Amino acid sequence: MPPEPALRDALLAAVPSLRAFAISLSGQVDRADDLVQDTLLRALAHIDHFERGTNLNAWLFTILRNLFHSEYRKRRREVEDPDGSYAGRLRVHPEQGARLDFEDFRTALAKLPHDQREALLLVGASGFSYEEAAAICGCAVGTIKSRVNRARSRLAGLLAVDDAEDLGPDRMTRAALQAIG
Amino acid sequence: MMHDQGKRLAKVYPEAAVNELGAEPTLDREIQARIGDKLRAMYDELLEQPVPDRFTDLLDRLGQGGKE
Repeated sequence: MPPEPALRDALLAAVPSLRAFAISLSGQVDRADDLVQDTLLRALAHIDHFERGTNLNAWLFTILRNLFHSEYRKRRREVEDPDGSYAGRLRVHPEQGARLDFEDFRTALAKLPHDQREALLLVGASGFSYEEAAAICGCAVGTIKSRVNRARSRLAGLLAVDDAEDLGPDRMTRAALQAIG
Repeated sequence: MMHDQGKRLAKVYPEAAVNELGAEPTLDREIQARIGDKLRAMYDELLEQPVPDRFTDLLDRLGQGGKE
């Protein structure tokens, strides 16, 4: 049961990317850290299922993603409007001096359907191939490709609106002007 | 203020006004590239965060065979 040093180091090395994925997926740092911890525990408990020499990160991402989804489904039964609450949480989250443009981006990301967000994060941010992402999500490569494409054009639409706004007076000024009437 | 904005844009895109067809796909690709950049920049910021102690502690604890 105790991990050999090499495995311990490999798991520890995977933590930053697992956290980045979990935070972007769930929109909550606390929940993300719980997910990462559960992922590590599950990985250690089932390490004999892992094929040595294959991609450890992809295997860990698969575990994390499955944990996230079973929890998501559970919550969905408990709470209505999970997407609405997700968007709200994601907007609350920016800590560590996240810049305003990231906040805009996070808000736009939060508006994507979760399967599209997940595909985009795996391929566009985590650096997995379409094939690896398909294996992680347990779906066809074509499905991942179309989800990523739809995510990109949806984001382009959402962020293009922001760019148009950026051409005018800055937001604070505009908000002040609007408040005055 | 809008004047200044216009001048700045004109400087950045000297031929923008006369560039008729074909502008759209270029812009599209530009936007796509910018989305990719922003996504990675946002993600990199998360990747650079220090690993919370709970994970090193957890793995070390399990490494010593101290199973709870």
